[in-house]
Amino acid sequence: MPLLRATDLRVAYGDTQVLDGVDLEIGRGEFVALIGPNGAGKTTLLRAIVGLVSLMGGVVKLAGHDLAATPRAAKAVAGFAIDPASLPALLTGRESLALVAGARGLAAIPPPTLALGETLSLTPVLDRRIDSYSLGMRQKLGILLGLLGDPPLLLLDEPFNGLDPRSALAFKAHLAAMVARGDTSVLLATHSLDVAERYASSIVLLLEGQVRRIWRSDEITALREHPERSLEQAMAEACGN
Amino acid sequence: MILALHPALRADWLVLRRTGWAASAVLGTPALLLACCVAIACGDLYGGYGWCLAAGALLALGGSHAIAHARMLGTIERWRFGWCGALPTARGAMTWTLSVLTTAVLIVSLAFIIALLLAVSWHAPHHADLPYALAGMGLGVIIGTAIALVRVSRASVGRVAHADGIREPLLVLPWLNDRRLPHLVDWQRRAALVKWRRGGSFVLAAVVLAGVPDGPSIPVVVALVLLVLAWAWLAVVMRASADSTRAVMDLLGATPLDVHCARAASLRYPFVAALCALVPMIAGTLLTGRGIVALAWVACALAVSVWPLFRMLRVTTRPEPPV
Repeated sequence: MPLLRATDLRVAYGDTQVLDGVDLEIGRGEFVALIGPNGAGKTTLLRAIVGLVSLMGGVVKLAGHDLAATPRAAKAVAGFAIDPASLPALLTGRESLALVAGARGLAAIPPPTLALGETLSLTPVLDRRIDSYSLGMRQKLGILLGLLGDPPLLLLDEPFNGLDPRSALAFKAHLAAMVARGDTSVLLATHSLDVAERYASSIVLLLEGQVRRIWRSDEITALREHPERSLEQAMAEACGN
Repeated sequence: MILALHPALRADWLVLRRTGWAASAVLGTPALLLACCVAIACGDLYGGYGWCLAAGALLALGGSHAIAHARMLGTIERWRFGWCGALPTARGAMTWTLSVLTTAVLIVSLAFIIALLLAVSWHAPHHADLPYALAGMGLGVIIGTAIALVRVSRASVGRVAHADGIREPLLVLPWLNDRRLPHLVDWQRRAALVKWRRGGSFVLAAVVLAGVPDGPSIPVVVALVLLVLAWAWLAVVMRASADSTRAVMDLLGATPLDVHCARAASLRYPFVAALCALVPMIAGTLLTGRGIVALAWVACALAVSVWPLFRMLRVTTRPEPPV
């Protein structure tokens, strides 16, 4: 059974069709990169998978749990990194971690989360109010909130925005290690094609709300090894220019 | 020399046209406050203008200052730290724009007062007192707003809203914190503190003071102060709790949050706050010596204050995710 099975997802904002029949499947231990131009529907797709936008049609199943019928069981499977702008400014980092831990049914902030915070150099500011955080600090906290409780599927929307190179490298290594252990799958929406090309086991190109092209593992390997080919070039070709 | 207006004003105007005047953050609350002032003036026109001039003018001054100060501070914060914060603006454009806006709001508000006073007091026995009432109200509103404008123009505005809520409670109540949603109480309390320090619910104070009889005794004054403070504070807590609950539900929308737990956790702080507010309210009711009438009045006030709780309950039972 796949960890995520999204079938014929349709989402519209007013008259604008944002997702137009998206099908996506992610198995255990997969690292899937979601790429596409601005406005392609990447963020909306991630939000639809965790129930943050209303579907006009389609079905989302997380580890077999239908998101519409059993939302709590389905949402327990996924961890969604919180947008830095949506963090609660009136709480401290540690308080917001405790809040989300409570919502996920955890008695306290799990030690691995705090350990990742230490790796990302966030520990010294955890007891400061979030409104005093820089963009990078907020981004790190949003990531920690998404990873709380080690959910089997991680949904990350441009998580490297604002991260300093050292933290970005540490986080990429952390993600790769989790995926390599086989206990976590990642769906990463990104414009960083180098990250997608280097870490992803499959890459999905979203264009105008539809899946235009999927590169599987062997194709990505071929792209990496070809001296004159790149994902950037392949994406441009798939987009039709 | 004609100073340029702040560039954000054009965008604000476009938003205002789209969302309508009802959503205007500039005119909404002052208009309500002034309506309350009018209620006082009209009530006391029957008993003479002395009280009206004193209480009405003071109320208009304090109320318009509190509301204008909070609104201007919010506007300046938005202009300085919002999307338009980095736009090149002419020196003094912000203060000039605020002055223009404030003058426009004052003219509209005063026109509103005059129209309402004329309409309500047409058949009053002391119709001749109307100019005094107008003078009192108008002067109070102008001075209160002008003081707010001067204060805001001189202040070095930082992120005041969040700094306001930083204070920790004198009395820590660990049992208030629901372990299923820890720190939601802190969020609600800090949000309430921010709202309170930004002007609170002065409109409600005006409504309470509208019931002040001519020449009140000291116990009645004490009673009214207790009622006003308790009611205004409770209204702020309820609104802040409802807003925080909506924000927390949005924040945790992707988590397997149990909505029943969320509802129970979000109601704790407002419930305890309502119990605390009841003490001064009951004391105030007893001091007024008006028995059933005052009690009914307090019950109505409570009902109005706890209205945001229904919004909270709706948010925590929302079947559909936000779009």
